Amino acid sequence: MTHQTHPYHMVNPSPWPLTGALSAFLLTSGLIMWFHFYLTLLLTAGLLASMATMFQWWRDVVRESTYQGHHTPPVQKGLRYGMILFIISEVFFFAGFFWAFYHSSLAPTPQTGGHWPPTGILPLDPMEVPLLNTAVLLASGVTITWTHHSLMEANQKESTQALAMTIALGIYFTLLQMSEYSETPFTISDGIYGSTFFMATGFHGLHVIIGTTFLTMCYIRQQLHHFTPNHHFGFEAAAWYWHFVDVVWLFLYISIYWWGS
Amino acid sequence: MLAPRVSQALIRSFSSTARNRLKNRVPEKQKLFQEDNGIPVYLKGGVVDHILYRVTMGLCLGGTAYGVYCLAWASFPRNK
Repeated sequence: MTHQTHPYHMVNPSPWPLTGALSAFLLTSGLIMWFHFYLTLLLTAGLLASMATMFQWWRDVVRESTYQGHHTPPVQKGLRYGMILFIISEVFFFAGFFWAFYHSSLAPTPQTGGHWPPTGILPLDPMEVPLLNTAVLLASGVTITWTHHSLMEANQKESTQALAMTIALGIYFTLLQMSEYSETPFTISDGIYGSTFFMATGFHGLHVIIGTTFLTMCYIRQQLHHFTPNHHFGFEAAAWYWHFVDVVWLFLYISIYWWGS
Repeated sequence: MLAPRVSQALIRSFSSTARNRLKNRVPEKQKLFQEDNGIPVYLKGGVVDHILYRVTMGLCLGGTAYGVYCLAWASFPRNK
């Protein structure tokens, strides 16, 4: 039986990068078949394959860390760098949508009537549900910090409660946004206003759902005793992602909802 | 309201106040996944791992073949 004499993680060969790449192909070609021919079989296969890949890949990461002990301090450092770099890439993703919004709204063209919001667009009142959404996400930032401190103090009861509250606030935000979407007097096809509004807020909403899912996985792992007061990077990664989602909303609220009205 | 620090945080015993808490099965899992049997981590959990792997790979390979067929089909015009 050989043992490694270095602190790094030499992973077992895994099929998930391949299945991930193939399911990306199924998703993209599936979208083509749906958009052009209304056929959904390929897209369905792609969704199932990508979800199965994600489930098994991350399940294996939990096995490698919590059960096999491969996440030594140098390995964890690499994971921290990785998560930070990923979040930075997401910042650039949103920067594109904010660029599009400011490009169109700072110098409105004759097509919009020469002003922003364009003629005929009734923007949502920023002091109504959007303000509530802001409060909800800010509160969830507080509860997730409470969760982290409880985790570090080995307070199982409070960390569970605080994490549950964070998840509930995330779900509440999503429900509020869904209701707002059904109430808007404008749609995505209502000119450049509609496009910028729904692309930016739509992708933000998707990230809230992803973040809520990540936090829910942390909740389950917490119940299964995976986290210790000193080692809980999975939770920290989820918390960083959640704070990022919150910050993006603050930019959205100030730029599109408030200044843009 | 600080809870007392837990020294052996990884292993927690089943206590009588744990009405809502699940038993800590991490040590059992650690034993299972650290067994020196040469099985890679993605199959090391047992039969369910094998089934899930086959279903996933089957979906991907079958789907890819069907996808290539679909794209070939879509590439040729048909009469209106």
